[in-house]
Amino acid sequence: MSNPYVPVIARIERIIEETPDVKTFHLVTAAGKPFAPRPGQLAMLSLLPVGEGMFSVSGQGEAHLEFAIKKVGQLTTALHEAEVGQAVGIRGPYGNGFPVEELQGKDLVFIGGGIGLAPLRSLINYCLAHRPDYGELLIIYGARTPADLVFKEELFRHWPQAPGTAVHVTVDAGDAGWQGPVGLVPALLEQLNPRPQGKVAITCGPPVMIKFVLQALERMGYRDDQVITTLERRMKCGLGKCGRCNLGSKYVCLDGPVFTLGQLKALPAEY
Amino acid sequence: MPWLKDEAMPAFLAALQSQGRLWVPVEEEWGSCLAVWEEKSLRLTPGPTLLAAKGLFLPQTEKLFHYRVEAEGAVISESEPPAAAARQIVFGLRPCDVAAVAVMDKVFLDGGYVDCAYRARREASALVALACREAAPTCFCRAFGLDPLAAPGADVLLLPLEGGYLVRAQTAKGEELLAQAQGVLAQEPALDWPAPPAFLLEVTAAGVPAKLAAMFDHPLWDNLYQKCLGCGICTYLCPTCYCFDVQSADRGTEGYRYRCWDSCMFPEYTLMAGGHNPRPTKKERVRNRFLHKLCYLPERFGVFGCVGCGRCLLKCPVNLDIAAVLKKVQEVGTHV
Ligand code: SF4
Ligand code: FES
Repeated sequence: MSNPYVPVIARIERIIEETPDVKTFHLVTAAGKPFAPRPGQLAMLSLLPVGEGMFSVSGQGEAHLEFAIKKVGQLTTALHEAEVGQAVGIRGPYGNGFPVEELQGKDLVFIGGGIGLAPLRSLINYCLAHRPDYGELLIIYGARTPADLVFKEELFRHWPQAPGTAVHVTVDAGDAGWQGPVGLVPALLEQLNPRPQGKVAITCGPPVMIKFVLQALERMGYRDDQVITTLERRMKCGLGKCGRCNLGSKYVCLDGPVFTLGQLKALPAEY
Repeated sequence: MPWLKDEAMPAFLAALQSQGRLWVPVEEEWGSCLAVWEEKSLRLTPGPTLLAAKGLFLPQTEKLFHYRVEAEGAVISESEPPAAAARQIVFGLRPCDVAAVAVMDKVFLDGGYVDCAYRARREASALVALACREAAPTCFCRAFGLDPLAAPGADVLLLPLEGGYLVRAQTAKGEELLAQAQGVLAQEPALDWPAPPAFLLEVTAAGVPAKLAAMFDHPLWDNLYQKCLGCGICTYLCPTCYCFDVQSADRGTEGYRYRCWDSCMFPEYTLMAGGHNPRPTKKERVRNRFLHKLCYLPERFGVFGCVGCGRCLLKCPVNLDIAAVLKKVQEVGTHV
C-alpha cells in the first residue's frame, strides 16, 4: 500500500508574475499533469526541505496544473524565489471541490477579492469549457490597487469576450491609469444587484469581504443554499488525520474546502 | 475456559514473547508505562499505565520519507515507514485503553484515507487486555458505557480471579497467541463471575453530545479556560489524542520528512501563514478540545474521544480535566 504522505516530484514549467506578491506556477511531472482535480480542489505542495503547504488549484491545462500563490510566509516566500525547472513536490487532489453537477443550468455570480479569485478561476474556466451546461456568468472582483489584480489577461480580455459572461472589476484605491470603478466589492455587488432567481453566488476572498458579501447577498434575497464559499485552514496532512483543520465534526481538507452557507451555518463559527 | 495460575504468569509471558516483542506495564521512577518485558519487570496496579499505548501505533516521531537534493532538485530516495512492521504484543491494556485503540483505529483506518504506517503497526500488533477488578481513584470509564470486566476490541482478555486469571481468546489472532501458550494454561476451575469494581467518581456522559452540540456559544467556555496553562500534558497523556505535525529535518543535501505528536492546546496548531488563527486564544482551544472529544468525534465516528482513563485528572496542573468538564456540562442550563 502506498504511503499517502509522499509527494510526487514535479517541476516548475512556467512562472507568471501576477502582482508584486502573487505568482502563478505551472507544474508538470515527468508523466505530464500530476492529476486531474475538480475545480476548487486542493493540492499539497512541498519544497524540500523548506516545508509543505496546502494550496487551491487555480487552473489546469492538458499537461499541467496551475497555482496562484501569494507570498505570506516561509514556504510561499521560498516558492517565490524558485525558478523555472525547480523541483516541487505535489500530492493530492484533496477536498470536495465545487459541486459542478449541481451548478448545471444555473446562472453563476462569482464574487472574489484579492487572491481569493484563484479557486473561483478554476470554476469559471471550467464553466467556460463546458459552456452549454451553465447559464450567465457574472464575475465581480476587487483588489486593493490595480497592481494587486490577479489574472489580468482573463479579467480584461478572455472573460469579457466569453459568451454570456460579464466582468466587473473594482479597486479599493485607484492609480493614475485606472479607469474602472473604485470601491469595495460588497458595494459593487449591491449596486449590480443580481436577482437571486435561478442563481448561485460563489464567493472567496479576505474574511472581512466575505462577511459583508454574505450580508449583502442575504439582503438581496439569496437563500443559504444559493451561496457557496471556500474556507482556508492550516493543514498538515490533507487526509483527515492530523486533526487541525476541523470545523466542528467536519474536516476542511476532506469535507471542504467548499461549503454552502447553509452547511456553514450548521457548523461552529470558527474561521 | 483456559486458566492461568498466578505462578504461571512468567511462563505465560515467555510464551507470548516467543511470538513477538512483548510490551508490559512497568513502573519507572516518574510513573508507569509499557516497556519490553524483562524477567520480573511486570508491575500490575489498578488503573491504566500513566503513558498510554498509542506510541506503539503512532510513534511520538515517525519518519515518512527520505529525500536527496541533487543538481536537478530534490528526489525522494526512500519511502518510510516499511510496509510491514515488527510483530508486537501489548500485554496488560486496561479496557479503557483497548477502547482508546478503537478510537485511533477509526481515525487512521476509516474515514476516507488509510494511514499505511498506522495500519502496518496495528496489523502487526496483538492486544492482550486485563480486566479491572479494582478501579483507580481517577477511573471513570463507566461514564462512557465501558465495562471494566470486558474489552471487546482485544485479541485476548485476562480476567483476574482468586489465584489466577481466566483467559479468553476473542479473535483469531488471540487464538493463535494462546495456541503457543497451551503448555502453561490449565482448565478453568468452577468460579463465580466477579462483581464490577467500585468507582469513586460519579460521572456520566449520557446525553452530553447532543447537549454540547447546542453549546458552542455557551458562557461556560468564557470561564472554563481561564486556568488552563496551555501546557498540553492532557493531550500528551490522552490515549485517544492523535493529532500530529509534519516537519522536515534537513541535513544539507539530504533529509527526511517526519511527523510528530502535536497538541491542539498550542496556538501554532491552527496558526496560518499570514497570521490568521481560527482558534486564537485558550478559550477556543479548550472549547475545541472538549467538543472534539465529547461531541465532534461522536458525531463523525459514533465513538467518544474519551474513555475515562483518568490520566488528565492525575496530571493536569490546574484540574481542568475532562471529568470536571463533563460535570459542568451536565450542570449548566442550555438557555442563557
Ligand atoms: S487543560 Fe490542563 S493539562 Fe491541558 S493544557 Fe490546560 S493546563 Fe495543561
Ligand atoms: S489537514 Fe490534517 S486533518 Fe485536515
